[in-house]
Amino acid sequence: MTFLQQKRMSYYLLLAPGLLLFASIIIFPVAYSLSLSFTSFGGYGKPAFIGLENYVKILGDEVFLHSLRNNLLIVAVSVFGQIPLGFLLAFLLHRKMVRNGNFYQTMIFLPITISPVVVALLWNQIFSSSGMVVAIIRNLTDQPQYVMKIFENRQMAIYPILFVLLWMHTGTYMIIFFANLQKMTPSLLEAAQIDGASESQMLGRIILPGMVGTIATTAIFAISGSLKAFDLIYSMTGGGPAHFTEVIAIYMYINTFKYYKYGFGSAASMIIVLLAVGLILILQYISRKFERRFE
Amino acid sequence: MKKTITLGKGLSYLLMITFTLLTIIPLTWMILSAFKPHALIVRHPLSPPMSWYIENFTLAWTQGHLGIYFINSTIYSLVATFFTVLFAMSSGYALSKFHYKSSRFVSLLYTLGLLITVHSVIVPLFIMETKLGLSNTRLGVILPYIAFGLPFQVFLATTYIKGIPDAMQESAIIDGADFIQIFLRIIIPVATPIISTMFIYTFLGNWNEFILVLTLTSDLTVRSLPVGINSFAGGMSRDYGLQFAALVIGTVPMIIFYLIFKDKIAQGFAAGALKE
Repeated sequence: MTFLQQKRMSYYLLLAPGLLLFASIIIFPVAYSLSLSFTSFGGYGKPAFIGLENYVKILGDEVFLHSLRNNLLIVAVSVFGQIPLGFLLAFLLHRKMVRNGNFYQTMIFLPITISPVVVALLWNQIFSSSGMVVAIIRNLTDQPQYVMKIFENRQMAIYPILFVLLWMHTGTYMIIFFANLQKMTPSLLEAAQIDGASESQMLGRIILPGMVGTIATTAIFAISGSLKAFDLIYSMTGGGPAHFTEVIAIYMYINTFKYYKYGFGSAASMIIVLLAVGLILILQYISRKFERRFE
Repeated sequence: MKKTITLGKGLSYLLMITFTLLTIIPLTWMILSAFKPHALIVRHPLSPPMSWYIENFTLAWTQGHLGIYFINSTIYSLVATFFTVLFAMSSGYALSKFHYKSSRFVSLLYTLGLLITVHSVIVPLFIMETKLGLSNTRLGVILPYIAFGLPFQVFLATTYIKGIPDAMQESAIIDGADFIQIFLRIIIPVATPIISTMFIYTFLGNWNEFILVLTLTSDLTVRSLPVGINSFAGGMSRDYGLQFAALVIGTVPMIIFYLIFKDKIAQGFAAGALKE
C-alpha cells in the first residue's frame, strides 16, 4: 500500500463511525420524517399519500397557533430578558463592579446543571397552593386564607413557565458574554479610560459594537432553544390547562404518541425545522447589516 | 461623579444578590422540605423540619426504583459520552488535518446537524427502533445519545485540532508512524484540555436528557433518572415528602459535579459562541 492509499484509508476509518451513526440516526430520519409528513400514517399498514393535507390542517388549527404564540413568547423572554440581563451581569463581573464576582458567577450559572425535569417539579411546588410563594404572600399580607391557582388559569399559566426559563438560562448567557468580554483586547478600553471615557460611554461605543456577533449568536441559541422547549413544560403543565401552555414540540408529541397520528406529527416536526432554519437565516441577515454599520 | 459610581455599585450588588438568592432560596427550601413529612410540608411550607425525617429518602429510593434509574443514567451517560468524544475526536482529526475535498462537505453536514433537534426525528426514530427491536433496550438509548452529541462535539474537536501545528504530524510520519498511531499517540494527548471539556459538557447533557428515554423506552428496567423523577409528579404518589426527596436525589450529585467542573462546563457553553 502506498503512502497516499494509506492516508486515504485512515481518513475513511477515522470518519466512518461518527458519520455512520450521524447519517442513520439524524440525516435519514429527517428525510423519513419529511416523507411521512405527506401521509396519513397511523402506525400500521402502508402510509397513504395525502399531499399537503397535514400541513394545511396544522396551520388552521387553533391549538397549533396558540403553541406558536407560546414559542414566540419564549423567544421574546430570551431576547428581551435573558440576553440583556445575562449581558449586564457579565459586564458588571468583567468590569469588577462587585467583590467576590466568582461566587456570584458560580451561583447564577448553577441552575444549568439541574435537569429540566427537576427544575419543573421544584418550581411547581414553589408555585403550588401549599408552596413557598403562597406561604410568603399569606405571611406578608396577613391573609391566612389566600389561595393561588396559577396553573389552573388558562391565561396566566404560561407566566410561571416563562419566569422559570428566565431563571434557568440567564446564567448561560452571562457565561457566554463573560467569555467573549474577556477575549476583547483590553488596550482599547484602557486607552478610552485614559481619554476620560465613562463606563457607559465605553459600553455604548466600544463594548456593545464589539459584541454584535456574539449577541446574534446568542439570539440563534434563543430561537433554537425555544423550539426545543419541551422537557420543562412537559413536566410543569403537560401543555395544560386545555392546551394553553403547549409549545410546538409538545403539540407534535401529543398528536404523535397520544393520538397515534404519525404523519401529522411528522408534519409538525418539519414545521419546527423550517421555523428554526427560517428564523436563523433572517437573524443572520439582520446581524450582518448591523456589523457593517459598525465597521 | 462619585455619586453615580456608588449608585452604580449599589445597583450592581442588588442585581447580583437578587439572582444569587433566586438560586439559593429555592434549592434550600427543596432540601429542607425533603426532610419533612407530607403533612408538615402542606401545613407549614416555610417552617424548618422538626426532626430529620429520613423515611422520605428510603421510601422514594425503593418505591420510585431510583436505584435502577441511577445505574441506567450512569451507564447511558458514561458509555454514550465516551463514544461521542472518541468519534468526534477522530472525525475532527480527519476533517482538519487531511485536507481532502470531501472534508468541507462533511463539516457542512455536521453544522446543519446542529439545527436538527431531537423532536424533528423522534417519530421516525421510534418507528425504526420498534422495527429493529431496539426500542426498550439500553443500546437503543445509547446510539441516539452518541449521534446527537456529535455535531457540536465535532465542531469543538475540529476547531481545536486545527490549532495543533502540522509539524508534529509531519515529523511523526518521517519516523514511520501511521495516521492511526498519530491520532492515538499525538493528537489525543495534545488535545486533553478540550477532551475534558467535551466529556464534561456531553456528560451533563446526557445525564439530564429526557425526551429520548421517555419515548424510546417503557420498561422501568431501562429508564433513566429524569424520567423516573418525573413519575413522582403524576399519579404515582401525592406524597410531597417523597417528591422532594426524589428531587434532592436528582439534584445533589449534579451540584457537586458542577462545583468540581464549573470552569469546564462554562467553557463548553461559551465555546459555541466564541468569536475567533
